[in-house]
Amino acid sequence: MKFGRSWLPAHIFAWLYMVLLVVPLYYLLVSAFKTNDQIFGSPFSLPTSFSTANFTESFSSAHLGPAILNSMLVTALALVLTLALAIPAAFAIARAEGRLGALVERVFSLGFLIPTFAALFPTFLLAAATGLFHTRAFMVLFLPATAMPLSVVILVQFMRTIPREMEEAARMDGASTFAVLRHVYTPMCMPGIATILLLNFLTFWNEYLYSLVIIGPDPDLRTVQVALPTLKSLTGTDYGILTAGTVLTLVPVWVVYTVLQKRMQQALVSGAVKM
Amino acid sequence: MTMLSSAPGGASVRGPVTPPPSASVTKRRTQGGVILAVPALAWYLVFMVGPLVAIFVIAALHWPGMLQPVSFAGTGNISAVLDDPVFWDAVQNTAVQLVVAVPLMIVGAYMLGYYVAQKPPGHRVLRYLLFIPGLISTPAKAMVFYAVLSPDGLLNGALDKVGLGSMTDAWLASPSTALGSLILLDVWSGIGFTAVLFAARLGSVPDEIGEAAQLDGAGHWRAMWRIHFPVIRDFVGVVTMLQFLWTLFGSAQNVLLLTQGGPGSSSTTLSFLVYQKAFIAADLGYSQTVGVVLFLVGLAGLLTIRRVFRQNY
Repeated sequence: MKFGRSWLPAHIFAWLYMVLLVVPLYYLLVSAFKTNDQIFGSPFSLPTSFSTANFTESFSSAHLGPAILNSMLVTALALVLTLALAIPAAFAIARAEGRLGALVERVFSLGFLIPTFAALFPTFLLAAATGLFHTRAFMVLFLPATAMPLSVVILVQFMRTIPREMEEAARMDGASTFAVLRHVYTPMCMPGIATILLLNFLTFWNEYLYSLVIIGPDPDLRTVQVALPTLKSLTGTDYGILTAGTVLTLVPVWVVYTVLQKRMQQALVSGAVKM
Repeated sequence: MTMLSSAPGGASVRGPVTPPPSASVTKRRTQGGVILAVPALAWYLVFMVGPLVAIFVIAALHWPGMLQPVSFAGTGNISAVLDDPVFWDAVQNTAVQLVVAVPLMIVGAYMLGYYVAQKPPGHRVLRYLLFIPGLISTPAKAMVFYAVLSPDGLLNGALDKVGLGSMTDAWLASPSTALGSLILLDVWSGIGFTAVLFAARLGSVPDEIGEAAQLDGAGHWRAMWRIHFPVIRDFVGVVTMLQFLWTLFGSAQNVLLLTQGGPGSSSTTLSFLVYQKAFIAADLGYSQTVGVVLFLVGLAGLLTIRRVFRQNY
């Protein structure tokens, strides 16, 4: 009788919030198949036909095709760069014994407390000064910097669990520092690498304000998060097209979530816990 | 280490004058270590710390637009900001937003997280759904809310259906409800994600603690607040800090996407004011002065939250 009658209010409140959470998403999904008249007339009913007209319309009017490719490009390259920077740094910090290593670790763990938004305008100046304003390249360079604190701290935790003897054995075989990193540490902290890949995939894919300001509105360059809100003004108040476009941008993230649900939850939770 | 020094390692092969191998390995190890952290550190300093410092410099400049001449303003921007009624509206809106949204989110999420952690029927479904707001990007969430709150959107449609047609409103376009709608969006998406964090943390609290409480005849309410809460108090503090920062700094995006700060300045928050003055009004010194204010509010908030949640047993 663990969940006896005294739990009734708890059940009710929990599922009530669930309804509040799901109803807008349900509305989003069904509206994507409806016309404006149907949306206003019967907002909750299932669509009468599963026509893809709204999807193709939103896809072409907001140029979502190139936008999705741009988002993929920026996200993938930024992830590669993040790993290239964070893995050696974590390796160095995890093995360092002196005061310097502790200091570097402290710098990164304090970085959690710098909200990315704070320096939007100076970052824009930096982009202009380096001649990379209105390019995707700047975002590829910039996003890994925002991810550095979390990625380094998580990887250091994983690398600390690797026993010293592993490295000493490799050293005896004549392995260089780089070889130790490549053949001992990197394979052994794959779960940590997977965690930061997932976490950063989410933040990079969903990034909005910096992409808006730095890459700008050019349809050939902008990311999907910048393209999506333009549907609001482009289509006036055609909610069918607006919701269809929103659904399209959610598909990649939702697919990854459903396939990797357990792993993703762990990743996000550890992201917050490791602070 | 003893094994290494007695073995002919790679280090002794290289040096013409063979130093004691153990010392050479140790030395190389620390040197290699420092160098490998340099790129990440440099990246971080150039792209994150540098711009942050620049905020304080720009705040002292008179800079009326990107291509306009720049001059030193000293404390001129500070008085300009303090004399501006819009700034004080933004302060008030941000205060309301923080005071309403953060406690509602944290208390709601803690209770919901506790509920899920007890593994009631359907807790797997709950966990799956609770997480969804954490996945959706800000623009997508804003578009969902735009569709729900628009004059002929879901909310007004639902009110009409249940006979409360007189309560319908243009939620995002009316001065009395615009800020409330933005807070609603924060809370709506914040509770679910935060609840998953709490549920995960509560899952690692030993079962004996809950069982002991039950044997003592403690009710659920007591067990939740008096027994489990003190155990994860630190963690609640950390999550509160994160939510505080997200709400304080992140509101610029929602405001930009949904209300543009209006009508009038009824939904202008401090972080949106930073954005608006920089990229719309082109008053760069003003913008970054508000940026400094935002930074100081963030710092003060963090210290306060840390103090409130300090482990006190």
